[in-house]
Amino acid sequence: MTGYAALIPEALVLAAALAALFAGLLPGGARTAAGGGAAAAALSAVLAANTGGAGSLLSGTLALDGAAAFVRAAIAALTAAYLMWLAGRGVAGERAGEAAALALLSAGGGMLLASATDLVTFFVAVELATMPAYVLVGYRRDDARGLEGALKYFLLSLLTSLVMLYGLSFLYGVSGSTRYAGLDGGVSGTLGLAGALLVAVGLLAKISAVPFHFWAPDGYAGAPAETVAFVSTVPKVAAMAAAVRLLGLLAPQVPNLPLTLALAAAASMVLGNLAAFPQRDIRRLMAYSGIGHAGYLLMGIVAGTERGAPATLFYAAVFAVPSMAVVLIAAEEGTDVRDLAGLAERRPAAAWAMTAFLLSLIGIPPLAGFVGKLQLFGAALDGAWVWLVVLAVSASAVSAGYYFRLIAPMFLAPAEERPAARAPAPSAPAALALAAMLAVTLAAGVLASPLLRLLGAA
Amino acid sequence: MFPLLTAIVFLPLAAAAVIALLPAARPAAARRIALAASATDLALAAWMLASSRPPAGAAYADSFRFVEDVAWVPQAGIRYHLGVDGISAPLIFLSALLTLLVVLVSWRTEPKPKTWFAMLMLLAVGMNGVFAALDLVLFYVFWELVLVPMYFIIAVWGGPRRQYAAVKFFLYTLAGSVLMLVGILALYLHPVGGTFDMVALAGSTLPRGFQGWVFAALFLGFAVKVPVFPLHTWLPDAHVEAPTAGSVLLAGVLLKMGAYGFIRVSLPILPDASAAWSPAIAALAAVSIVYGAAVAFAQTDMKKLVAYSSVSHMGFVMLGIAAGTVAGLDGAVAMMFSHGVVTGMLFLLVGMVYDRTRTGVLTEVGGLSRSAPVAGGMLAFASFASLGLPGLSGFVGEFLTLVGAWQSPLWRGFVVAAAAGVVLAAAYMLLLVQRAVLGPPTDKVSGIADLSSAEVGLLAPLVALTVLVGVHWSSLLRFVDPAVRALLAAEGAGG
Repeated sequence: MTGYAALIPEALVLAAALAALFAGLLPGGARTAAGGGAAAAALSAVLAANTGGAGSLLSGTLALDGAAAFVRAAIAALTAAYLMWLAGRGVAGERAGEAAALALLSAGGGMLLASATDLVTFFVAVELATMPAYVLVGYRRDDARGLEGALKYFLLSLLTSLVMLYGLSFLYGVSGSTRYAGLDGGVSGTLGLAGALLVAVGLLAKISAVPFHFWAPDGYAGAPAETVAFVSTVPKVAAMAAAVRLLGLLAPQVPNLPLTLALAAAASMVLGNLAAFPQRDIRRLMAYSGIGHAGYLLMGIVAGTERGAPATLFYAAVFAVPSMAVVLIAAEEGTDVRDLAGLAERRPAAAWAMTAFLLSLIGIPPLAGFVGKLQLFGAALDGAWVWLVVLAVSASAVSAGYYFRLIAPMFLAPAEERPAARAPAPSAPAALALAAMLAVTLAAGVLASPLLRLLGAA
Repeated sequence: MFPLLTAIVFLPLAAAAVIALLPAARPAAARRIALAASATDLALAAWMLASSRPPAGAAYADSFRFVEDVAWVPQAGIRYHLGVDGISAPLIFLSALLTLLVVLVSWRTEPKPKTWFAMLMLLAVGMNGVFAALDLVLFYVFWELVLVPMYFIIAVWGGPRRQYAAVKFFLYTLAGSVLMLVGILALYLHPVGGTFDMVALAGSTLPRGFQGWVFAALFLGFAVKVPVFPLHTWLPDAHVEAPTAGSVLLAGVLLKMGAYGFIRVSLPILPDASAAWSPAIAALAAVSIVYGAAVAFAQTDMKKLVAYSSVSHMGFVMLGIAAGTVAGLDGAVAMMFSHGVVTGMLFLLVGMVYDRTRTGVLTEVGGLSRSAPVAGGMLAFASFASLGLPGLSGFVGEFLTLVGAWQSPLWRGFVVAAAAGVVLAAAYMLLLVQRAVLGPPTDKVSGIADLSSAEVGLLAPLVALTVLVGVHWSSLLRFVDPAVRALLAAEGAGG
């Protein structure tokens, strides 16, 4: 595949997004739109996985290397699973067509972001990846909390985007180029430092790392849970991929940037994992858990070693799958921790799947999360960040405590404690989507080798 | 060649998968599958044990049998590397034997029999795998795998405070073992190490300072599992709340994983640090022996008494490991095997008594010899074996560890303290016999049914092993001793 043909995966996703906007005209309406979007995204994932090594495109604004292939495929696959679930369940019972279109647009932006190697392309892709997410968070127009969350998310995200844009202009100023190739070795001086730090602010906010994490718990708590499943994962994977590229390029040139990021990583791990404990709302709990995971992810960039970048991207993908699945199950069962009571009696398969997802997030082998953490911790140790690794392993041991607060009620509390059965009848596409995510969570740990090969990790 | 170890490790996984797919209304099928899988596993393990004796004088790398070695995640240097020697083979046999026995003893488990048997099978995968793995990451994978089914075994089928005990068990052992993971990674990333292969790393010439740091990281993971004082506090809670089968496997097999880690990983790979740390470990071992025995003496609950006696007995294992001599390590492995058999027997008996009387409190259980003479006799026998009566298996380990520690450069005060622990063990075990077995039957005990022939049959292999190892030491040591010598030779080669 050469030239523009390598962009077919993005084109497929964006075409499906446009088609989904006209869901009303399709037979079957919104469900068809979501189902069709899922099929397009799945096809896009398969195609994207095979584009590794296609070189650079559009005079160096996009790099289609192994890392881009992996992240594009991961984003498309996650979106496919999400839309499949949506096809079965809808969003809060309404307007699933628009939700599908927005998710697909965001995914398209994320896929571009993963391969962006130009400051302008980068910024446009970041906005395309996150803008639809604001709308999704405020999807229920009649819900005041949802609108408040969406507004918080929008304002903070917009503000940090603009700060980032300011930083990008500094980088352009010192290097005289918008291409990443021109930034390599061309960033220096106070202006370069300021540019790098301002860009870091924007990226930290996109992945909800401390100290720019405030929007996440409030933003998620008001949103429909199914939206949170998407918003808390796919844009984060994309932003992480962009961060690996851009911050990975800047970190060696800018003194103290690695240390600054290490402090942000440490603070994210500590705050995210501790603040998750008292949460009773699964969306908030997963928001804090996501803050903690953002901390682990930053370690790979901080490490500054060859292992760092592939480790970060691999973990971004394997953290996103169970995170999305856990919130989707919460969308089916209710978002209060107590709503999970007796799930093992009602839906044993869902309860055991949920357990596997949570154990993967803790990092219990041989699940995907374990191999991911192994790679990340190895990369950071390699870069001699011993204190950060010790903090990270302590944080992941601590995290088991709050993940078990979700596991315990499923098996130990009697089903009667659950208030009213509000979940609709089981739906085949939704179950299939969860089954696919479970398969990935179980298999990506045991069969990590082909995935790492796709990443181009030596 | 037939991948025997893979079969032993993963046969229970296949059984667990089949059981999970069964409809919930068919508990009988779940039982039969678990029984068939664990019986086959035991047969394979027995065959493996019989042919695992290394030739005398073999080098460490050559002392492994049934080796399987293929790349797993080559990008990260992780291999699927299995193999057994005379140290690990008896432990796999022990794990398979106890798994079969707990499947039988929990035949009528309610509620959720299907999940129960799936969890037992999953636990067997982790237990067998830990002793078979020769790659550090693979070892860690099996090590952590054990946590999940044991959490559910305690949390779902345990006593009144089961949720607290289960989470405490999980968090303590997880916290210990994640630091162990950092140590494992450090070994891989160090230029002298550069591999996860446990055999290739043996006798390595890693710098002393680095060894010390890695040893400290690994120590936490292993010591929590053993458990060494003061990291033992999860154990009594877990034992008291766990159902009988959980207690049997916890004391019988899981505690051995920690001691095995010291023997298989710390000693050969970090010889200098092991030597430097041995006085500290011996001191903790001596404290564990005396403290465990003293606290056991004060217990009124039979399960707690046996749990604290485990802390004491595992102290002997640690003393033998700290000694680092042939006799000390022979004794440590013999003690591990014997403790698995004898404590398994004790927990099974306590469980059987509990099933009849619904109490484990010593003042409420008494006079078993009159109302249930077989149960009383068995309990007395197991107690004698536990306190280290010569002629029974417990004596072999205690004797050899004390001899080994005396021969080593360790301060002999530790040996004296440990010997005092033997006396204390005699005291609390005789107290158990006196209260539970002798004297007039209490209200709860009078009129209970004696052990059925099925229950006696269940205990029979454990009784036979206790006597066999106790009388004919070399039935066990002929496997252990050559392997220990090969391991110590490898350690010496590097230091």
